[in-house]
Amino acid sequence: MREIEVALIGNPNVGKSLIFNNLTGGRAHVGNWPGKTVEKKEGRCIHKGVTMRIIDLPGVYSLTAASIDELIARNYIVEERPDVVVDIVDASNLERNLYLTLQLLELEANLVIALNKSDIAESLGYEIDVKGLSELLGVPVVPTIATVKVGMEELKDAIVEASKRGVKARVRYREDIEELIERIGDILRRDEDLTRKYPIRWLAIKIIEGDEEVMRLIEERGLIEELREVIG
Amino acid sequence: MERRLSELNPGESGIISRIEGRGEERRKLLDMGLVRGTRITVVRRAPLGDPIELLVKGYNLSLRLDEAEGVYVKPVE
Amino acid sequence: MSVREVLGEEPEVAMAEERYRVIGEILSRVFRGARPLTLSDLLDKAFLNRYLGIPIFLTLWWALFRFTFDVSAPLSDLIDISFSRLGEFASSIIGNEWWSAFVSDAICGGLGGVLVFIPPIFFLFLGLALLEDSGYLARAAFVVDKILRPFGLQGRSFIPLLLGFGCNIPGVMATRTIPSERDRILTICVNPLITCSARLPVYVLIAGAVLGAYAPMGVFTMYLLSIVLALLMALIFKALIPYFRKGRRAPFILELPDYARPTLRSTLTHMYERGILFLKKAGTIIFLGIIVVWLLSSHPWGAPLDQSYIATLGKWLEPLFRPLGFDWRGAVALLFGFIAKEIVVGTFAVFFGLGEEAEIEEVQRSIVELGVFTPLTGFAFMAFTLIYIPCLATIGIIYRETNSVKWTLFTVIYGLILAYLIALLIVVIGGLMGLG
Ligand SMILES: Nc1nc2c(ncn2[C@@H]2O[C@H](COP(=O)(O)OP(=O)(O)O)[C@@H](O)[C@H]2O)c(=O)[nH]1
Ligand SMILES: [Mg+2]
Repeated sequence: MREIEVALIGNPNVGKSLIFNNLTGGRAHVGNWPGKTVEKKEGRCIHKGVTMRIIDLPGVYSLTAASIDELIARNYIVEERPDVVVDIVDASNLERNLYLTLQLLELEANLVIALNKSDIAESLGYEIDVKGLSELLGVPVVPTIATVKVGMEELKDAIVEASKRGVKARVRYREDIEELIERIGDILRRDEDLTRKYPIRWLAIKIIEGDEEVMRLIEERGLIEELREVIG
Repeated sequence: MERRLSELNPGESGIISRIEGRGEERRKLLDMGLVRGTRITVVRRAPLGDPIELLVKGYNLSLRLDEAEGVYVKPVE
Repeated sequence: MSVREVLGEEPEVAMAEERYRVIGEILSRVFRGARPLTLSDLLDKAFLNRYLGIPIFLTLWWALFRFTFDVSAPLSDLIDISFSRLGEFASSIIGNEWWSAFVSDAICGGLGGVLVFIPPIFFLFLGLALLEDSGYLARAAFVVDKILRPFGLQGRSFIPLLLGFGCNIPGVMATRTIPSERDRILTICVNPLITCSARLPVYVLIAGAVLGAYAPMGVFTMYLLSIVLALLMALIFKALIPYFRKGRRAPFILELPDYARPTLRSTLTHMYERGILFLKKAGTIIFLGIIVVWLLSSHPWGAPLDQSYIATLGKWLEPLFRPLGFDWRGAVALLFGFIAKEIVVGTFAVFFGLGEEAEIEEVQRSIVELGVFTPLTGFAFMAFTLIYIPCLATIGIIYRETNSVKWTLFTVIYGLILAYLIALLIVVIGGLMGLG
C-alpha cells in the first residue's frame, strides 16, 4: 500500500485540531518537536488504499521564523518535504489567512486548501467563488465545516489526488520582483547541493527579505559574494 | 496629517501610512496585515486603558499602546 | 537592478505589502462581502466594557476556579478512598509482609497519588476549553494584560497563576495558551510560588499550634507572601536572567476571535487531549517518585519511621536547618512534603506516635508540648513550606512542559534557596524584634 506524508498547517484557531481528529479518528501519537517544548501530534488515515501519515504543525500566522512555532513549521516543510501540505484557511477571515497560503506557495509546497468554517462565512453573508479561488491560486480548494465533518471525504480525495500530481501552483508577484527572484535563483542554482535540498524560489524571496536563517545558510555555502551585486 | 495609531480614539479610523521600528515586532505587525494602505479602526480600549482593540482586514486584533505607537495612520472619516 | 533599487530600503516591508496586494487582487475577483455587525461585537460591548469588563472577568475566573476544584474534590476523594481500600484489601490477601506493604502502600498509594489529580485536571481543561472555544480566553488576556506587564508577565499568564492556587499542576499545564516561549517559561518558573491548596493544611496545623490568636493572620500572610513573591521573582528573573532579558520583547499581538457557542466535540477533544498527556507523561514520574519515597521511609525493613533511611537523611540534614530553628522532624516533614504537601501533617502525627489519622488538635498539642516549633520558627516553617520545592508531581509536569532539565532544576533550586533565605530572614528579624 502506498504511504504518503501529509502536514496540516493553518493560522491559530482555524479548526486544525478538529480536522486532525476528523482525519485520524482521534488516534494520535503525541510527542514534542525535537528539543522543543512545542507539542507534536501524529496520526494516520487510510483512504482509497493510500495510507496518510498526518502531522499536525503548530498554528502560525506566518513563516518568517519569528517564533519557535514558525521555525518548526517552516523547517518541517523545507526539510521533510511532506507529500502534501493541507493549508486550513478560515473562510470567515480570508484575507489574513491567505497570507500564510502565499508563503506556503513560495515554499513550493504541494498544497491543498481546506476552506474551513464555511458555515460561518456564509452566516456573515460572505460569497466566495471557490472554483475561482482554486484557479487563481492553482491549488485545489475544498470547503469544509470541521465541527460537523462536512467536506472530509472530499478533502481526503483531494489529498490523494494531489499526492499523485505534484506541485502546479505559482502565484506571481510584481514583474520587477519576479525578475529579482529569477536573477537570485540563477545564482543559487549553480550550487547543485542547495538546489536539491531547498526550494530555490523560496530561498530567493527570503534573501530579498534578508531572512536571518537563510542569510546564514547562504554565507555557509559561500554564495554571499556572488549575490552581492543583486542584494547590495 | 499623520497620526500615531495609539492616539486615535475608539471609533476613529485611519489608513496606515508607515510602520516604525524594526525586527520581530514590526514583522509581526506586517504578518497580521498592518501594511501600508490598509484601513484600520480603533474599536475600544481595554477596561484599564491598555491594550487597544483594532479592526483590520475584517478581524479583531489587540495591540499594546506602545506597539501601536509605531504605526502611523492618515485619519479618515 | 538591485534589491534596494526595486524594493527600497526595507525589502521585508515591501514583500509583505506585495503579498497583501496580491491577496487583495485575488479577493477582488472571488470574494464579495463586508464584515457585518455581529452578535460578537454586541457581546464585547458588555464583556469588554470599561466598567463591567473587570467584574465580569473576576466572576468568570472565580467560577472556573470553583468549578475545577469544587466539582472535582468529591471525585478525587473517591479515588483516594478507593485506592486505600484496594490497598487494604491487597495487603489482607498477600501473605508476605514486605510484598503486602509494597502493594498496598507503594503501588496502590502511588496509583492513587497519580489518579487523584485526574478529576481536577480534566475539569480544569473542560473549563478552559469552554472559555477558549467560546472566545473568552483571549478577552481575559486582553483585560488583565496591563496589570501583569510591570512584572514581566503578560495577559495570558493570568490563568496559569490563578489555577496555581488550586494546584500547580494544572497551573503549569495551562501555560500552553501562551505562545511566546519566554513568557511561557517565566510563567512556569514562578508558578510553584503560588500557594496550592495542599499547602493550606500545613499552614493550618502549624499556625493553629503556635500562633494562637494570630493563626488566621498567619495563614493569610502566606497567601499574600505567595502573590508578592511570584510577581517579584518574575520581575527579578526578567531583569537578571539573560534568557528572559535578551532578545527583543515578544510583541503582545492577540487575535480576538468572534465568540462562538462551544461545541461538545471540540470541547471534549481539547479536554481529552491535554488530560491524557498528563496521565501518560507526568503520571509515570509521579508514580515512580512515590515508590522511591516509600522505599526510603519503610527501610531498613521493620524499623520505626524515626530510624528509616529518610529519617537518617533528615538527621543528617538537621545542621543545615538549625539556623532556621527546625529540628530533624521538621527536616523530615519537609522531605515528605516534597512528595506531596498532603503528607506533611500525617508525618508529624506519625512522629508523635499518634497514627496517620490523628485529630489535628492532638498533633498541635504535641507540637507545643514537645517544643518542636516556637511561634517564630513555626512561622518560618510555614514560609519555607510555601516556597521550597514544589511537590514531585509539579516537578514532573514542569519537566514535561519545559522539556528541559535545566529549567526544571532551576525552578527547584531557586525555590530551595529562596525558601531558606526567607525563613532565615523571618527568624533573624523576628529574633531581633524580640519575638520567638
Ligand atoms: N462554526 C464552525 N466552527 C468551527 C469550525 N471548525 C472549527 N470550529 C471552531 O473553532 C474553534 C477552534 O477549533 P480548533 O480545532 O481548536 O482550532 P485550532 O486552534 O486550529 O486547532 C473551536 O471552537 C471549534 O469548535 C467550522 O467549520 N465551523
Ligand atoms: Mg488546536
